[in-house]
Amino acid sequence: MQFPILTSLVALPIIGAVLLLFVKDDEQHAGLIRNVALVVSTLVFAETLLLWSRFNPGSPEFQFIERHPWIPAFGISYLVGVDGISLFLLVLTGFLTPLALLGSWESVHRRLKAFCIFLLLLESAMIGVFVSLDLFLFYVFWDAMLIPMYFLIGIWGYDRRVYAALKFLLYTMGGSVLMLLAIIGLAYQHSATAGVYSFDLLRLYEMPIPPHLQFWFFLAFALAFAIKVPLFPFHTWLPDAHVEAPTAGSVILAGVLLKMGTYGFVRLAFPLFPKAAAFFAPSLAILAVIGIIYGALVAMVQPDMKKLVAYSSVSHLGFVVLGIAAMNQQGVQGAVYQMLNHGVSTGGLFLIVGMLSDRRHTRLIAEFGGLKKVMPHLVAAFFIITLSSIGLPGLNGFVGEFLILIGAFRWDPRLTAFAATGVILSAAYMLWMFQRVNYGPVSSEKNAVLKDLSPREWVVLVPIIAVAVLMGVLPNLFLRPIGPSVDRVLNRFHHSAATRIQAGATAAAPDELAGMRTPR
Amino acid sequence: MMSSLNAVVPMACVAAAAIASMTAEAFREPGERMPIAGLGVVGLIGAALASLVLWNHNAISFGVVIADNFGLFVTMILVIVGLLSLAISGPTIAREGLPCGEYYALMLFSIAGMMLMATATDLLVIFLALEVLSLAVYVLTGIRRDRAIGTEAAFKYFLLGAFSSAFFLYGIAFTYGLTGSTRLDRVGSLIAAQAMAPTPMQLLAVGLLFVGFAFKVSAVPFHMWTPDAYEGAPPAVTGFMSTGVKAAAFAAFARVFLSAFEPLRGDWGPILWAVAAATMITGTVVGLAQSNVKRMLAYSSIAHGGYLLLALLSANDVGKGAILFYLLTYAITNLGAFGVIVVLDTADRPNDQVGDYAGLWHDRPGLAALMTIFLLSLGGFPPMAGFIAKWYVFSAAVKAGYTWLAIIGVLTSVISVFFYLRIIVMMYMTATDRPARFPAMPRLVAAALIVSAVLIVYLGILPSRVLDLAAASIATIF
Repeated sequence: MQFPILTSLVALPIIGAVLLLFVKDDEQHAGLIRNVALVVSTLVFAETLLLWSRFNPGSPEFQFIERHPWIPAFGISYLVGVDGISLFLLVLTGFLTPLALLGSWESVHRRLKAFCIFLLLLESAMIGVFVSLDLFLFYVFWDAMLIPMYFLIGIWGYDRRVYAALKFLLYTMGGSVLMLLAIIGLAYQHSATAGVYSFDLLRLYEMPIPPHLQFWFFLAFALAFAIKVPLFPFHTWLPDAHVEAPTAGSVILAGVLLKMGTYGFVRLAFPLFPKAAAFFAPSLAILAVIGIIYGALVAMVQPDMKKLVAYSSVSHLGFVVLGIAAMNQQGVQGAVYQMLNHGVSTGGLFLIVGMLSDRRHTRLIAEFGGLKKVMPHLVAAFFIITLSSIGLPGLNGFVGEFLILIGAFRWDPRLTAFAATGVILSAAYMLWMFQRVNYGPVSSEKNAVLKDLSPREWVVLVPIIAVAVLMGVLPNLFLRPIGPSVDRVLNRFHHSAATRIQAGATAAAPDELAGMRTPR
Repeated sequence: MMSSLNAVVPMACVAAAAIASMTAEAFREPGERMPIAGLGVVGLIGAALASLVLWNHNAISFGVVIADNFGLFVTMILVIVGLLSLAISGPTIAREGLPCGEYYALMLFSIAGMMLMATATDLLVIFLALEVLSLAVYVLTGIRRDRAIGTEAAFKYFLLGAFSSAFFLYGIAFTYGLTGSTRLDRVGSLIAAQAMAPTPMQLLAVGLLFVGFAFKVSAVPFHMWTPDAYEGAPPAVTGFMSTGVKAAAFAAFARVFLSAFEPLRGDWGPILWAVAAATMITGTVVGLAQSNVKRMLAYSSIAHGGYLLLALLSANDVGKGAILFYLLTYAITNLGAFGVIVVLDTADRPNDQVGDYAGLWHDRPGLAALMTIFLLSLGGFPPMAGFIAKWYVFSAAVKAGYTWLAIIGVLTSVISVFFYLRIIVMMYMTATDRPARFPAMPRLVAAALIVSAVLIVYLGILPSRVLDLAAASIATIF
């Protein structure tokens, strides 16, 4: 029997959390608690790398599949597997969690044990979301993930943390319960056509779904994912949650949680309901482009660095959704790649903002100025990560955005033209913020005595910069495993979307679709 | 001859334990401590063993009590309710100086009545059982005689309960007048024979019985007594009646309406639809405004009644199984939550305002963690049992085509999360500078709460076996 690597990935953080339960939560044991959590999360990262090394990049199929019956009466099974799309999201999760932990090494003192436990449980639930191939299991992880995040924001956050945590939880849950009904509906649809209930994604992919049902199912799924992404106009929970969350919470929230929404579109909403997706893709793309521009403009006027980065996420995730909506190779590959980029660079930005706010206990841009002279190393790292977020060629952000824009251009040049302004705007708000914080005279005396990077902070930032460069220079290392899986999604989508619900939607479709039209 | 008594053995065990408790109380010197609760435990375990032996036998006693798997499943739920209630009653009895023999005897008689109600197949026997359980619960509600609030609650509960009993009895009278029988099977076949054109009399009979049941399961608009009764009763009693009475009433409700009155579904279905929707919405929305934890849980229990009504309305194989599974998880979860309230209840202050929970996590992390598990399960979060239960109910509703009701259900369950979280916010996220004032946790209560929490997580992660059992239980009847 093969070693159940995916199950062990899900289980490892839980085991760590259980171990921590037996450690006494006091000053003497603080170091032990931190180290246990760090070692466990680093082991998880090592295991994701192992997974990557064992992964067959040429195959479009799901790999490392494990299947055990769970609730057989309803055809619910414990079914997990990875393909090229989820593989790197797992690696990203494994990568960011230890960094988030290190990033809050000194800022969390109160209730440290519970903090580490919640962070590990959160990691486990996130991994679970990305590996689930059974919709019921997916939903369980999707909802279970909310609880640790709720506590992380609500207990260790800033002043308005309770409000922000509640808003985060109610928004996400409100969006996802309708998805639960749609999942139940899908299982019944399967029982109506095939005779047995099934929540098995691989089987549901093959199941024909009548267009009117697709319409409602897609809306239910899309609402859940749009809130999570967050797509304009469902984004209002995000700035609150980000600003109030502790550094580790922000890093995980921006780095991984938001990707669950876009991942859901790629994995579930589009391939399961191709006709409805084709019908709604233009609307989604329009919302995405509005989000790109709106997020960028709002980011520009933020006085608070954390809020600025939060709104920049709205803008960047808009690109990802645009790439997915284009549903062609460049668009979707770019979207998947951009999910990883955003995780790395925005995670890095939140870590840096966290370092600054740990030192100065403020995040207001106006309070800073001239940091370049005081802390040259931190500012250098800040600069590289800023550039990576903007999308400078040679760094990771460029590859993703470029692919998405190519893909979107082939689909709808007009929308792409608007979206492209987002690239310029992002350079404007990021560089302007960077300039106000780091250049000019040292405006405040408090800033003059700030310490530069500590060894621990070096350990946090160096991997992020290294990955940003690696992903910018060697994109094929990542795109090669992603490619076949994306093609698989696209094939499925175009085969059944070829018969469009509405003639109007075909105008925007790529030309090669016409040749694949199959009568139904 | 003896075999005809088989079906009543479980309730006989409990009733015998109740009589033994009363006798023991009579011989107890004032101030003497006696392990009377142990008698109850023996009786309940006897009932559980009897149910296991009777499983799959469909024993019938006197032609009016049937120990089918459905009834036995509910009996098992009632055994769990009874054991947990006995376990969490200790602190209240000790602190308030209640006569423990009377208290336990009333509780056990009430459980016997509940078991009879869950297995009765004759309307008059159901009525009898309803009265047995209700009278005991009325007294338990007001057992703290020196408290004005308890007396008021008991009085309200009694008046409205008597009122609903009258409705119920009137409904039985009409049914008897129409069909000449009170046996469910005969009533069912006679109604089925004339189902094509229901007469106004039939509808009146169904309507009156419906009102009687709706009172007992506190469905809107017959829920008015619930918050007052729940607030006034000692917390252990509230936990007991919010779960036990509900389980018994729903079992009888399902049996009567899904067998005898099934042919009239077209008539009561739409009304039940509206009542279920109103119950879910009122329970959650009014629950939002509560600042007393017991009142909040009262409204929460109303809302949970709404989900059960939704399962009842769906009435397919999934729905019937869902009723059983939901009753089980709800019973364990709610008793757990009330157990925490019991622990926090002190002689000089009840500690039952939401604000009283501030900082509980800092003083008593274990208790706060247990309460969190109960609340999250009530809110329907995975991986707790409450999630599986809700998912089961909504599956039934979607399958039966009640999509809109399912949508109302999921949305109200999101809203209900808001008020469960208010307690969590208080426990974890509100700093308090008041000194620690939470009493110590009795060992027995701690054990009961831990067992409940473990069961909740177990049923949430590995529900398969119990789900199959619930599904198999309903397969034998209806």
